[in-house]
Amino acid sequence: MAAVQINRALDFVRDAMREAGALWWRFFDWLALIEWRQLYLVWFLSFVAGLFVNLVEPAIWFILVSFGVKVLAGGKRRAELLARDASSKADVANLERRLTEAQMATLQAQVEPHFLFNTLALIGQLIETDPKEAARVHGHLIEYLRASLPQMRGAMGKGGTGGTLGKQVELSRAYLAIMQARMKERLQVRFEVPDFLGSAPFPPMMLQTLIENAIKHGLEPKVAGGTIVVRSRVEGATLHVDVLDDGVGFNLHAGSGVGLANIRERLALLYGKEAELVIEAPVTGGACVSIRLPYRMTEDG
Amino acid sequence: MPTALIADDEALMRDQLRARLHEAWPELRIVAEAANGVEAVALAAQHKPDIAFLDIRMPGMGGIDAARQLYADCHIVFATAYDQYAVEAFEHGAIDYLLKPVTLARLDTTVARLRRQLEHKPQDIGAQLARLAQLGDQLLGRAAPSSKPSYLRWIQAQSGTSLRMVATSEVLFFQSDDKYTRVQTATAQHLIRKTLKELEEALDPDEFWRIHRSTLVRVDAIAEVRRDLRGRQMLTLHGYPEALEVSRNHGALFQQM
Repeated sequence: MAAVQINRALDFVRDAMREAGALWWRFFDWLALIEWRQLYLVWFLSFVAGLFVNLVEPAIWFILVSFGVKVLAGGKRRAELLARDASSKADVANLERRLTEAQMATLQAQVEPHFLFNTLALIGQLIETDPKEAARVHGHLIEYLRASLPQMRGAMGKGGTGGTLGKQVELSRAYLAIMQARMKERLQVRFEVPDFLGSAPFPPMMLQTLIENAIKHGLEPKVAGGTIVVRSRVEGATLHVDVLDDGVGFNLHAGSGVGLANIRERLALLYGKEAELVIEAPVTGGACVSIRLPYRMTEDG
Repeated sequence: MPTALIADDEALMRDQLRARLHEAWPELRIVAEAANGVEAVALAAQHKPDIAFLDIRMPGMGGIDAARQLYADCHIVFATAYDQYAVEAFEHGAIDYLLKPVTLARLDTTVARLRRQLEHKPQDIGAQLARLAQLGDQLLGRAAPSSKPSYLRWIQAQSGTSLRMVATSEVLFFQSDDKYTRVQTATAQHLIRKTLKELEEALDPDEFWRIHRSTLVRVDAIAEVRRDLRGRQMLTLHGYPEALEVSRNHGALFQQM
């Protein structure tokens, strides 16, 4: 019986201590974070309250203790609390990042049905009139789909990077060869990509988006058609990949589209402020869109 | 002898349709071939065909816009590889269409229908075409002229010898300095000559808010609004370290939030 009572008493004491400890830490945190100006106000009020209820001495103790604690330990504790806050914010940012990446993956998943059906119709016609050309276009289409269908791309590396510039250029060549078969003399293409840049890491589907934009917004609406130039170079430690066209140029009142916003966001996620998407309107007309990111010679170099 | 015009920007697709038509309807004479809508309208005026086969997507002027100028004088048949929105509309309306690649069986149906229709005047499909044109514009993200005010979506900033294009969706805020207006994005800063007032008039008022005499902020970039010790409302933005002040005149924007 006695043992039970002692146990109860001990439990009570332990609970009380824990409660007091928690309260003390709360008070401590409050002290650490509160602005001095507000603290003065609290002191003044507690002193006045103390006068009224005849408890001046405890009020003075409170003021002295809180002053001491704030001066001696407040700064450190405050830094600690702010750091904890920041790290929890960083966790949230990290989560947001993963979420965004997931959204990206689905966004990237778009092979234009219009492109697909038109190309198939073209192949159908070529089979009858020019089987060799049909086989060529057919091969390019397979190459294009292999690289741009999300299921196929999954194997190449998850989410962000995992591609090389060479791979992306190859894909673009396939796509542009198909477009040339369709648009004939309305589309000229020029690649100015030095071979040694082929091994440089480059995120998937960005170059492709720029080229599709150049065709869709620049050249397709232009009756006479035009030229697309894909060029790449290293300036300092930065890899530049540009897509130029001499199409109809910018409509200042038409949105920039999901494609470019998507590239911008992915660049920010992958490289932070080290990468950039630069869009320019050359004086000669058309458009010039440039992806700039830190240059590395190979995947792990 | 019935006559027809074929319009498609892809030469091979014109070849295909011509060859199929020759099989399905040997008497039909193809009097003209066009590579875009403008050409189609011009050639139709010259050759007065009974029927016009029009691809929907063509550079310059598409098939639907061309049809709006032609339907009073000739029977219209559209051709498309994909435009789902149009195909759905055709199925519910009286407009005939062909899906590319054109099959002989499907073409036979169209030819039979055309043979019957040729005895009558072309039907009035103006209203349907107008609706389709509008639908197509929306789908392609083109601003439909006149129906809705179109807002500025690109900011042009001189940068050396070239003109930088900054999408408004990329801008965090505009701030007026003495002479220039500063355009701030997450990664860069540009100076432009447009005044804040000009910008405010040209931009979508739902996209950008005036929060201060000298500041126009993109609403989606706002992370938080809080009061500082002096009681001023301060805005923090996603991806930008400094806070922006909301002036008293504009404080009402953020009440009840």
